[in-house]
Amino acid sequence: MFMYEKRLQYPVKIKTPNPKLAKAIITQYGGPHGELGASLRYLSQRFSMPYPEVKAVLTDIGTEELGHLEMVGTIVYQLTRNLTPEQIKAAGFDDYFVDHTTGIYPVAASGESFSANTFSVTGDPLADLHEDLAADATTTKEQPTISRVRKPLI
Amino acid sequence: MSERATLLKKISVAQFAAWELHIYLDTHPHDQRALKSFNQYKEKAKALTAEFEEKYGPLTSCDMYGDSSWKWIHDPWPWEKQEGDA
Repeated sequence: MFMYEKRLQYPVKIKTPNPKLAKAIITQYGGPHGELGASLRYLSQRFSMPYPEVKAVLTDIGTEELGHLEMVGTIVYQLTRNLTPEQIKAAGFDDYFVDHTTGIYPVAASGESFSANTFSVTGDPLADLHEDLAADATTTKEQPTISRVRKPLI
Repeated sequence: MSERATLLKKISVAQFAAWELHIYLDTHPHDQRALKSFNQYKEKAKALTAEFEEKYGPLTSCDMYGDSSWKWIHDPWPWEKQEGDA
């Protein structure tokens, strides 16, 4: 069972909209190394875990990833408020905009929709835990990459 | 920062510390120091949450009381920028 807490894990207050940055950051929402996949990976893998410690960790981290998903969604939402048609076009945000306007849809930076093919559930505890290590490594690599690529724009 | 945002930040700080200890305790369930520290942060968060909810409305639906109106629907929601935010 899940309960909602009406607060973000860490507050998000963005002063200046920036649709170009939003296009990069949304990949952390619905991209191949995003929070949606992370959450579904851990929350799905836990059913076949035989050890109490690991069942607890996967449940708790999978839940926390949903909190991260909410923060990323908030960042994208606040980065794309009050945009003019000119800003949307200049930032290259128009291809996202025609389908979703400023709604938050799980896609990768490349525009591809979220896919469960980005993670794995084998039912084998060791295989799943190795996949988790690989997934965590890609996330810790991708987050600094986004800030490096987008630094001049922030 | 508004008084509301300041109080919410204090809750987040206490809850974050409690949460990190929670995850540590998943794999170290007999660590007495961590258990004690976890309980302290949880108590702190509980008191701050009670203060917040008294002033600004419920943070979780289980803390709801259906008194004169259904306060759960009140703005702001967490993704919205709040008045008084820098």
